Amino acid sequence: MSKPIQKLVDELPTGGLTVSMLNALDFVAPGEWKNPVGFVNTIKSVTGEDDEDLIQQIGERAIYLYNDHSQGYQTAMWLYQTVDATDKALGAAILANKVGEKIPLLGFLNSLTPKAEKAQTIDLTLKLVAELIAFCQINGIPGDSIGDFVAALGEYGGESMIRMVALVCVDGLIPLGPHFIDKALQGIGNMTPNDLNSNATFSSIKDKIPGESDGKKLNFIGESFNSVTGWMSNIVSENNISVETLLERFQGFIEFSEDKLDYLAALIDVSTNYYEHTGTQTLAKRLIERAFAEI
Amino acid sequence: MGIKQRGIKILTAILLSFLLLTTACAQATPDRFTAVQQESTRKGSGLAVAKNATQGSEFNKFFPTSSDEYQRVFTQEKKGFAEANLKKAGKVIAQLAISDTTSTPAAAAKFDKSTEKIAGYPSLEIGTTQTAILVSNKYQVKVISKDPTFKTGDRADWIQKFNLDGLASLK
Repeated sequence: MSKPIQKLVDELPTGGLTVSMLNALDFVAPGEWKNPVGFVNTIKSVTGEDDEDLIQQIGERAIYLYNDHSQGYQTAMWLYQTVDATDKALGAAILANKVGEKIPLLGFLNSLTPKAEKAQTIDLTLKLVAELIAFCQINGIPGDSIGDFVAALGEYGGESMIRMVALVCVDGLIPLGPHFIDKALQGIGNMTPNDLNSNATFSSIKDKIPGESDGKKLNFIGESFNSVTGWMSNIVSENNISVETLLERFQGFIEFSEDKLDYLAALIDVSTNYYEHTGTQTLAKRLIERAFAEI
Repeated sequence: MGIKQRGIKILTAILLSFLLLTTACAQATPDRFTAVQQESTRKGSGLAVAKNATQGSEFNKFFPTSSDEYQRVFTQEKKGFAEANLKKAGKVIAQLAISDTTSTPAAAAKFDKSTEKIAGYPSLEIGTTQTAILVSNKYQVKVISKDPTFKTGDRADWIQKFNLDGLASLK
């Protein structure tokens, strides 16, 4: 049995590297993300209600819905957790830094292995596909409806928006550079089912990706990525996001030199869990909205 | 027994009791959702939504439609449930929802206390943001304010913009 939803939301941190990073990305969508933590607190902020009896009813219905496997919420949560394969030991070493002190990248170089472009492309595209599948599990649109997903991206707000911004920035721009979209498209075009199969995240989530064979799953991944490239490049251009602006913001909490960008990307990759963190918040919000409307 | 050894023994005893105390506490702090967590996991899955609940996709056609001023954007469509955002000038001002109360008998039973009607159906105000009606003793229609400018009267107006007769004829 996985952890109860109320515990997952209660245990979301209010500080740490993940939260610092998400706050640093807030300039893209100012005020969109307020790091809602705590189950009861989230019920109050989502519904705008504060009657304790009403909150209890909403919470109980939300818990019932989450615990019903057929409703897909647990699959969505598992996907958000699985694509965020963090290195707990390294994360703990980084956390051992004094609060308020910048994390020195130099101190962790020996524990970090930058990803090759191919691996990074798989990472980026799988996170996007996980988002698509989790979206459909939570909101109930059939699992292969890319069109609905793209339309819904326009409606993305709050914790979903900041997750997509982080995806573009820390899994696209920083590790792959300003032409990350073309690089990823090219990378996925040259990829073989074997390349995919040697990727641990793909092996974990492949059963949830539409397609009877690995080749068809690869096609699905490519099509999904292709369909959101316009949206991704809009985020970058509309907000004037560049590697330089990102680095300037990240200097606020990590100490690094600009010739070590691949290591910076690796550090962020293993020591943050922004997908799981904001995914938990997205799921809780939609679950509570449904519970509130059904009681 | 040397002082040092005795010291170690005492320390061990203290540590052990501390450990027991903290583990006991960790296990024995039920909160307001402990009971429902146990209940909802004990009986297995398939409990939250009734098997014979109407598919959410069946509800979509009864929702108010978009106009020049207002946009309706569907956000959720699950078994027994459909919900849409109501937007004005790009901002969500309300949420519109239909749910099948077959899965939630208490949701239907609360209308026993209703003294008001909207469009001929029993209605209730819930909390400070919701207006709800019960159609055919089965389908709950709710309009939920998401903006202070969208008031109680607006909720009643928008409930009447659903195709309620169509919903009532749904089996």
